[in-house]
Amino acid sequence: MIIQTLYNLKSKFVAREVGNELILVPLTGNVAQMSELFTLNETAKFIWENITEESTTKDIETALTNSFDIDSETAQKDIENFLTYLEQLFIK
Amino acid sequence: MKQQSNSLNLQIAGYLIRLSSDSPIELELGYEPFITSKTAIADVNINCYAGIPANLFQNDQLVFEAKNEEQRFYSIYRTGTDLGFIIYNQQDKDQIQQVAVLDETFSHWKVYSETQSNNKILPLKYPLGPIIMHYLTLKGDAVMMHASCAFDGTKARIFTGFSGAGKSTMSKIWNNAGSLIINDDRLIIRKQKTGYMVYNTPMYYADQPKSALLSSIHLISHSPENKTKKLSGATAVTRSMAFCIQNNFEKQFIQSRLQFFSELCLQIPVYDLGFVPDQSVINFIIANETGETK
Repeated sequence: MIIQTLYNLKSKFVAREVGNELILVPLTGNVAQMSELFTLNETAKFIWENITEESTTKDIETALTNSFDIDSETAQKDIENFLTYLEQLFIK
Repeated sequence: MKQQSNSLNLQIAGYLIRLSSDSPIELELGYEPFITSKTAIADVNINCYAGIPANLFQNDQLVFEAKNEEQRFYSIYRTGTDLGFIIYNQQDKDQIQQVAVLDETFSHWKVYSETQSNNKILPLKYPLGPIIMHYLTLKGDAVMMHASCAFDGTKARIFTGFSGAGKSTMSKIWNNAGSLIINDDRLIIRKQKTGYMVYNTPMYYADQPKSALLSSIHLISHSPENKTKKLSGATAVTRSMAFCIQNNFEKQFIQSRLQFFSELCLQIPVYDLGFVPDQSVINFIIANETGETK
């Protein structure tokens, strides 16, 4: 799934910051999903907040390495893992 | 069930609910102890009508369905600025039991029910009664939860978890030890000036209105040994919010719930509790309430 598609799907969630973490709750039209809530840690929260209409994975990687004490390889892996997680979340 | 007049007031969780109709109103047994003579301005007015209009909401957008493979509880439609509800018969999911309309202020309901053989209408027939209470909580700082609550005279503890986690078992254990059970299935928590209050709501059986000041929330599961861990931050919020009653088709509903639980979890401790279903859990909880992992 491309990053712009993920950006468009962000509107299907309501987010709230609690401490360093972010809670995501899906907007849903059925009762089955109503207890599904997701918690993003500080890194995942940062990636989520940096998914914009125009961002690329490279932009996010740069922002991540500038803001956290991690190298490019770790940042790439974190982004890849998180985007895969989001994809799974969105296609449920 | 008991015959009632065409107009009556209920007080549930401190909310005043006024029902009125041109037809005689009947209530399920559990509502009778909540009837009040109080006549302040009602928090919600319910106009009840005999007969269900045909073809309501046909051109409206379906926004939410509460159903599973076995049962169909209700469907919600957006009808202009109002919400329209179709409530299904719990014995026959293809039969409409009631139709209801809630205005955008969440203060006025119109409830349409078929007249029963005794010429009365039953406007709060399950599940519409709890649905009305749920939307009442969305008006203010309150939530409705699937949980039990025991008050030992000093502290009121909420026990919640998935179906079969032991909410009723926990209630029996505390009840046998002399605690007051506020309820063992459905509660309303309200933020009041004095703190977070827990209230029971009408059930299928008669029980007096009860309330207590909330001390702690325990997310329970059966376990070979008693063990507890205090939760904090986002984990405490998401784990406890998962057991509140929600219709998450509107962003504002979710935002309101997230705000409520974020504030509540800052003031009320939330514990993950694995328990052995016997009296030993009582002393274990009391001993570990300040608690880290044990």
